Amino acid sequence: MQPKLKRSELDGLAEFHSLDTRKVEILLQLADARPSRSDGLRFLANCLRIGGVLSLAAGLVFFVAANWSEIAVFGRFALVELVLVACAAMAVVKPPPAFVGRGALFLAFIATGALLALFGQTYQTGADVYELFLTWALLGLPLVVAAQWGVATAAWVMVLNVALLLYCGWHPTGGMLWAIFGSTRHPAQIILGAAWLNLALWFAFEFRRVSAVPDWVRRLMLSCAFVFGTWGGGLAITDIDFDLGRRTDPPALLALAAAMLAVGVYAMRRRTDVYPLAVVTGTFIIVSLVWLGTKLTFHDEGIFLLMALWLIGTSTAAGRILTVLARRWRAEVQA
Amino acid sequence: MSAVSDLEAQLRAQGVIPADAPAASEQTTDRPWFVALLQGVAGWLAGIFLLVFAGMTLKLESGVALFLLGAPLLAAAWFMYHADRHAVFLDQFALAMSIAGQIALTASVNMHHGTGLSIAATALIVQLIVLSVMPNKAARTLAALFAAIAWIYTARFLLLPASADDLVFGEGGHALAYRGWMIPVHWLLTWIPLLALAHWLIRQESRWTASKLRVFARPMLTGLLLALPLGGLEATAINPLGFAVQPVAMPLTWWALFPLLNVALCMYAAYAAFLIRSNWLSGSAVLGAMLHLSTFYYLYGTTLMWKSLIMASAGVALLIAGVALEHRKPGSGGTT
Repeated sequence: MQPKLKRSELDGLAEFHSLDTRKVEILLQLADARPSRSDGLRFLANCLRIGGVLSLAAGLVFFVAANWSEIAVFGRFALVELVLVACAAMAVVKPPPAFVGRGALFLAFIATGALLALFGQTYQTGADVYELFLTWALLGLPLVVAAQWGVATAAWVMVLNVALLLYCGWHPTGGMLWAIFGSTRHPAQIILGAAWLNLALWFAFEFRRVSAVPDWVRRLMLSCAFVFGTWGGGLAITDIDFDLGRRTDPPALLALAAAMLAVGVYAMRRRTDVYPLAVVTGTFIIVSLVWLGTKLTFHDEGIFLLMALWLIGTSTAAGRILTVLARRWRAEVQA
Repeated sequence: MSAVSDLEAQLRAQGVIPADAPAASEQTTDRPWFVALLQGVAGWLAGIFLLVFAGMTLKLESGVALFLLGAPLLAAAWFMYHADRHAVFLDQFALAMSIAGQIALTASVNMHHGTGLSIAATALIVQLIVLSVMPNKAARTLAALFAAIAWIYTARFLLLPASADDLVFGEGGHALAYRGWMIPVHWLLTWIPLLALAHWLIRQESRWTASKLRVFARPMLTGLLLALPLGGLEATAINPLGFAVQPVAMPLTWWALFPLLNVALCMYAAYAAFLIRSNWLSGSAVLGAMLHLSTFYYLYGTTLMWKSLIMASAGVALLIAGVALEHRKPGSGGTT
């Protein structure tokens, strides 16, 4: 359970009332600032079990990457497929929300990716790496949905975003996505598309809350959205194309502005969490800093002073506004 | 009734504070962690821009000139923090000036003859001074974090002397000089003092919260719990990330698996963060564990097959330990 008061507030109370060590102990107990022994054991048990599942998943990935030549092709596939079948069987016997079922489905999701990698590694399909991750995300989605587990959802979000990152970053000329978006010559727009895909997921789970997509996973989606948004916005402002030299891209900037506006309006109406506003503000600061950099020449040392002052000014204003909003909304929730 | 008033009412009821004790102000200078992160990164970047501007404008070419720039910048930052203790308006400017001053001071001492060790040791001393004197919690927290990272570098260069270039761009062939016994010694020398300090701070929390030491101890604890999982990613010679590329010629030895212990550091940091009820510090520890695991994947010195077996064995052991712990207590449920 997250306590109502933060450590800094408890420090403030101890200072204000000049509490001695014994009284601070009572203060910490009353504020539920110290976990009980059973809380500690529960946390440790969860950490160990989740760590165990993640370690097994890493072991499986390392095994496939090792490409062990002493096992024949059939044997390699059989091994990974056996893991997949065993995980599925375990999940059927002990379905989620039991930990065994969740862990088994998570491992099955990882095994799906390992199997795809093994397939590409063995038969040299010529597929781009982003296709592997995208196919993994698509094929693994039912397993993640069945797992009903935040950890599995977060892993799926990361796999999807690695696929998008590889696609946007390497700008490949083949594969599924290229067939759809191949006609556009504006990389910033493609990157903003990746941002909006994450944003769509975030909005979907904001409006329809499910336990498998807890707060921290929704924040992960939003962070991914604005990493792409910042990247695309920076590209659109600096006018740099991958292969066509310089060109302006107002639609990409409009898409970014729309994303920032949509998230900002939603957060202000909901009045519960300032994290979305912080992410939007961070994107604004970086993109505006990039814009500032393009307006001055690098021979002018004043650019560095201006950029420093801009950073100080915007981050001060952002920090002030966000902190005030956080306190106000927290007080409203407590009331 | 607010949470603070509610707690004060309980304190009065228990006789911890007098019944007529005045109510504490609910005004706090605390910010959400992501706001602190945003402002910290912005202030750090602004400090570098300020220093570049000053360097280009004043044509600083000697250590003395850099010192004469850095010391007044730090002093100005101190005055700004001091004058503006209960607001945030000047804090960001002070943070940027402080960062610029710290870099200038460190560079002034090492401008022409700096080695990896001298740079790391100077940075450590500068950070400890900032931690001691700056009248601002954010500045102290950053100083504690950077001091811990400077210590990690200092320990590294104590055992493996290297040039200043190796501070960021890796140890190159120097890691070849790593004898087996040096790896555990290096790890213990680096981490035992930091672990011991973090453990002591948590154990003594009520004692230092009751004294004026709280203004130093709280930032130190936060800085340490950030440095334990994240500090070793770049700074330790045998756990490379980014530029610090592991030399291919490192001999095949089981000592190469030693950095996996850094994942255990992350687990300790997560547990310590849980003890002080800090979700964001727990999250940073989990992130650190993931990053250490990915660096382990790329680590030379052993085969992927061995790494696979090690991870699978560790997974089984952790699961058994977790299930055993789970059965020791009643009312266990799933996690989301």
